[in-house]
This record gives sequence, C-alpha cells and structure tokens, in this order.
Amino acid sequence: MLRPNLTSSLHLCIISLAIFAGLIVSGDRFSTRVAAQGGLSDQQKRGKQIYVRGTSSSGKEILAYVGESSLEVPGSAMPCANCHALDGLGKPEGGVNPSNLTWEALTKPYKVTESGGRERGPYSERALDLAIARGLDPAGHKLLNVMPRYQMSPQDMSDLVAYLKRLGNDRDPGLTENSINIGMVLPSNAELSGLGQAVKAVMTAYCAEVNSHGGIYNRKLNLKFAQTGDTPAATAANVKRFVQDDQIFVMTGVFSAGADREVAALMNELELPSVGPFTLFPQVGHPLNREVFYLLSGMNEQARALVNFAVNHNADKKDGALVIYPETNTGKDLRQAVRDQCVSSGCGPTEEFSYSNATFDAAALAANLKQTGKKAVFFLGSGKEELALLAEADRLHWSPEVYGFAGSELLGAPSSFNQRVFMSFPTSPVDQTAEGIAEFRAFNGKYQLPSDHLAAQVSAFASAKILVEGLKKAGKDLSREKLIQALEGLYEYPTGLTPPVTYGPNRRIGAMGAYIVSIDLEKKQYVPVSGWIKIN
Amino acid sequence: MSILLLAGFLCIATPAPQANITTVLGQTKAPRKISRYVCPMHPKVVSTKPGRCPKCGMRLRLVEAPVKPSAPETSAMSARPEENSVVLKIPNAQVYDQDGRRISFYNDLIKGRVVAINFIFTTCTTICPPMTATFRRVQQELGARGSEARLISVSVDPATDTPERLRDFAAKFKAGPGWTFVTGDKIEIDSLLQAFGVAVADKNDHTPMILIGNDRDGFWSRAYGLSAPSTLVSAIEAATAHR
Repeated sequence: MLRPNLTSSLHLCIISLAIFAGLIVSGDRFSTRVAAQGGLSDQQKRGKQIYVRGTSSSGKEILAYVGESSLEVPGSAMPCANCHALDGLGKPEGGVNPSNLTWEALTKPYKVTESGGRERGPYSERALDLAIARGLDPAGHKLLNVMPRYQMSPQDMSDLVAYLKRLGNDRDPGLTENSINIGMVLPSNAELSGLGQAVKAVMTAYCAEVNSHGGIYNRKLNLKFAQTGDTPAATAANVKRFVQDDQIFVMTGVFSAGADREVAALMNELELPSVGPFTLFPQVGHPLNREVFYLLSGMNEQARALVNFAVNHNADKKDGALVIYPETNTGKDLRQAVRDQCVSSGCGPTEEFSYSNATFDAAALAANLKQTGKKAVFFLGSGKEELALLAEADRLHWSPEVYGFAGSELLGAPSSFNQRVFMSFPTSPVDQTAEGIAEFRAFNGKYQLPSDHLAAQVSAFASAKILVEGLKKAGKDLSREKLIQALEGLYEYPTGLTPPVTYGPNRRIGAMGAYIVSIDLEKKQYVPVSGWIKIN
Repeated sequence: MSILLLAGFLCIATPAPQANITTVLGQTKAPRKISRYVCPMHPKVVSTKPGRCPKCGMRLRLVEAPVKPSAPETSAMSARPEENSVVLKIPNAQVYDQDGRRISFYNDLIKGRVVAINFIFTTCTTICPPMTATFRRVQQELGARGSEARLISVSVDPATDTPERLRDFAAKFKAGPGWTFVTGDKIEIDSLLQAFGVAVADKNDHTPMILIGNDRDGFWSRAYGLSAPSTLVSAIEAATAHR
C-alpha cells in the first residue's frame, strides 16, 4: 500500500510542478505580449538599427567577414535583415535557408535541427554573441559559410541581442492590434484653407466609411492632422514633430507645396510611407524615394508627355524644339525634362532661351524667337507670360505651335493661335467611369461634403482608396515595409476617377502620363487632341 | 562544403567526340528524349522525378538528353560529358551595362576573352551580397596577378534592375573597371539565361553559380558562386591557360 501511495504523490508532485511551470511560461508569454504593444526601449532601438542597416548609432564601425577567406565588407552591405528578413523568419534564396531568428525559435528548450542537418541546443545571450562574432552555434558547429562573422563593439553586440529578443514582435509606430494612425498635413495658408478643409472632409469621411464596416482587419483608421509651416524647413520640422508625437504609421494627402523636396526627404528618412501627396513636383529622381507614392504626373512628367505628343504631331520630327524657360529652379528642372525627353524620343537637339521673371520682355523675346524659324515652341513659364508672348508673336505674324501648361488665361490668346496652343492635363473627365462617378456621388451625398474644390476632393478620394487597397493587400500582419511592397504590387488599379494606377519597384507615380488638349479660340473651349500619353 | 565545391567545380570538357557519336546515332535512330532532373550544383544528383536536392535543397532542373548538338555560330560551345553534350550557345543579346550603354553581349563582352559570369539581382539580399563580395575579391586578386580576365554580372530581374540600380549596386561593392553589370529587355536577358542554363521561374530560386569561360578555345566550366575567391581565381587562371 505504501508504494502506490508514494508513486501517486510523486505523480501529483510532478503534475503540480508542471502546472506551476506552465503558469510561469504563460506568465512570461503574457508579459512579452504586453511589451509588444509598447514601443522599443532605447537599447532595442539601437539594436534594431544594427539589425536592419548594419550600422551603429554610436558611429563605431561594424564589419562583416564572409566565407573561409574572411572577405571584409562593411556591415551596411550585409545587415542581418538582408537574409533573416525584418520579421526574423528568413528569406530563402538559391538553396540558402537563413535560420529563424525570433527569440522563441532561438531559445527552444530542446534540440533543434537547422537546415543542413545541424543539431543545436537553445541559444543564450553568450551563445548568440559567439554565433554573431565567431560563426559558431551553441553546439560548437560552424554556421553556414554565407553567414558572416561580425565585428562590433561589446555595446553594439548587447544592443543587437536586446533587439533580437523583440524581433518579429515589434510593431512599427502608430500601429496596434485595433488601430492604424494615419497622418495628414493641411495648408496653414489662409488662401488654401478652403481646399484644405475640403480634402480633410473627404479623408475624414472615407475613414469613417471604412471604420463603419469594421475597419481593416479589425483595425480602425485613426486620422490625425498637422499643418504646414511658413518655410520649407518649418514645414519639415512640423511634420517631423507631428509624426513622432502622434505616432503616425502612414501619411496621406500631404500638402507639401513649396516644401516638396524637404517633406519627401523626411518621409524617406523616417521610413514613413506617404500615399497621394498634393504636389506638382513629385520627387522621383534617382535614387528612388521608396516611401512616397504619388497619384498623378507632376509638371516634369507632363512636360515629357508634351514632347512625346509634339514629336508625333509634327511632320518634321528632326526640326528640333525651341525651349523657353524662366530662370527659376522649377524652370530649369522643366527645361531638363524637355531636353532629356527630346533626346530619348528623337526630336533633335533643343534650342533654348531663358528669361528672368523680373525683366520679362515679351516683345523682345518674340522677335528673337521668330528669327529661329522653328515651328514648335515649348513654353515652360506661367500662363500669363505665355499669353503675353503669344500676343507679341501675333503682332509679328509668327504663329508656331506652342506647348505649355494649363492656364485659363490662354483662352484669351490671339485667334491666329486657334488650335495651335497645346497644354497637358494629368487626368481628364474620360478617366471617370460610371461606377466611379456613382460611388463618389453617393459618398459625397452621404457625408455632405463641401461642393467646392472638387478636383482636390477627387484626388483625395482616389488617394484614400489606394491607401486602403494597399493596407488590405499588406494583410493582417501589417508593417510599413509590407505596405510599401503591397503598393508596389498595384497594377492598373481602377480608382474610378483617375487613370488606372500602377506602381512598381522603380515607379512611384501611379498614373504616369498625361492628356494633351488644345484650345478652340473661337468657341473658347478646350479640345482634347490626344488619348492617354504614357511616359516611358 | 568541400563536397559542394568539388561537385560544383567539375570542369566541362570540349564535346567533339560525343557530338560526333550522337550525330552518328542520330542518323540511324532518332535521339530519344529522356527527361531527367539534375541538381544545378550537384550534377551527380540525378532523379527521374522533380524535387529538391538532398545535398543542398535546391530545386532539381529538368534536363532532356541526349540533345542533338547544333553547330556554333558566333558562340562559344561547351558541354559536360555526364550530360551527353548539352550545347551552350551564347546569344549576341542587345543589353545595357551599368552606365546605361547599349552593348552586344557576345561581341562586346565575351568574344575572344576569358570571363567569369555570375547571376544576381539587386533586390536579392541573401546570396547576392556574398557572391558579389567574392567577385570583388576575385577581381582584386586577378588584378594583382595581371590577369586580363573580365567579370560579368547578369541581372536575373531586368524588370526591376535599371542601369542606375546596377550602378549603385556595383558602387556598394566597389566593383572596378573590367566588371560589367548587365541588364536589358526581359526577352534579351531571358535568352541569355536560357543559354547559360540558369533560367528559373522564380528569381529567388536563382542559382549561386559562376560560369568561367575562355572564348578563344570554347572552354567553359562551372563553379559554386560562394566558393573561396582563391578557388575561383585558380579556375579562371586554368581557363586562361587552357589550350
């Protein structure tokens, strides 16, 4: 009788121990989950920089040594995230299967068989140190040759290990289990306040609409607002403070007029995606700013479309174009766009005239230009200046085809330029499908949106649709990087109100092209003269 | 690892005798096409069914053998004995280099030269950085030995890899002159990848393989892309010295 009793009490003992251990384990799990809701500690943030970029915030060098011959490369060329991915699960390529680096996987309390048949026990902090610095696993086996040995300061190493404990378990700022913070920047300028209010109303209504259907994967869209400053630097500073204080996950409908470069650079620096900013100057030069997704072509892209149109429109393609531009940064950028496009579309060398806005002398300029005998003129200044030039050219009985940008002043051009003045538009009413119009009308009525600034409202509506589509495609396990990749995957996405939107690894303008329109000066109306002109 | 290296480093001999035999056989009996699946890195791993290589986990590649050899035109020719004279024809594809210059792949890069070719894409982050770092060291060592061998990196993702991206990638690994990064229209690049036997449906499955060739003699060999630089340098020197 004694023995069974002893056994059963032993059993009991083991069972209660197991329960106790289970409690500890689940308690531990619980605490990590709670931690995941909060942000990273400063040390973890430093570790994340090492993991993602291979650089140390202390400025100390991190070096990687690859292969048996210990090739030395900077850590930034081979950061951890390259192979092990941002979530730590690894990116298999060409037969190389990087190990799972999530803390759970690293510290499994039993023997684990890694790819390649290597058996190892759990990692400790000290063992990780050895793996990272010397390429050995806890069992003393050599790691795969492709895993570099890293040389970094002890502080950097402990920062990195601190981050590894949170890897795959840390969310980007502004994202929780049940909310996504979306930031907007509105114009502080009084002249634009009506426009800003209209756009704000559209975005607010759109988020309310999405939230009324349960949000996106049960996350409510939480819209927050900032304002532009008086100078580009002030705007950038405002936005930076806003993003950090209000924990913004993604931006949309950002007004950055005048500070386009600064704000786009800030998005890039903060790795903060921005969908559909309001700007005439998308920052799409090389190297690519991955974060900012534009809806429509800007001035530069429209200038390129004008060149493409002119080349096909003129019988004498090799005649070469005459380019007139104001001596401003914008003017010079546009001149460059026209020059490049002329080279790639084979319309011959450009002949260029510049003027300064202060001393614009239309009569003298027209006289000079007439001398060249060119039949096609690109005018890259304002509508007012273009009109003055057309009046002087008319006086000299010189009426070339003039390509420029939209300006209602041009409806008053001399009649000798009837259907000889061309301008570009980044979108046209033909893009608006019946479904698109019906959807927008119903939405507009339901939320009683303002009746003015319709073009801006349409842009905001399209941007909001694109953002929501991207958030849906990125999936429940959302991150800024996944959102960027999801947006890059959009191909001919129909907003219903704009040309279809396509992004890609090298493309950040959704509707990359323009329509060309000329003016019937007798009836005083615009006449479409082209279909959608794509830009390569 | 050493097995990997050995297997990957098997040289490919000139195919003349086998080619003749195949042709003779072909006159009496049409060559029967047998589908085999071979590991790109371990030629000894042969299976009759698709699957993965037990040694390295790579997807096995379909090889139809024997293949009737065709006469080389402007191309180098090579075959590995154990694959019954598979012929590589290098097309003169119209491609772009990292400076955006339009070049003819065979005429400008291969013809009459000793070259080592690897296959990369700039958004490949697991194997391309170590492969490229290895190539960089190979270039330095070749330079120190006065070798005239050239290096070529062909993008397997031409839709993404613009010349600008390749230029940035080259700069990141400090590629010197004499190392050409190649991209272009997908159709042109695909013709190259097909010719080299490295075409894959998913770019992430692309092979860490280096082709080392001496066009003067039509001598080609393969090496594992993550081999030690010294191994690759000796392979390139062997190709240079080959007669």
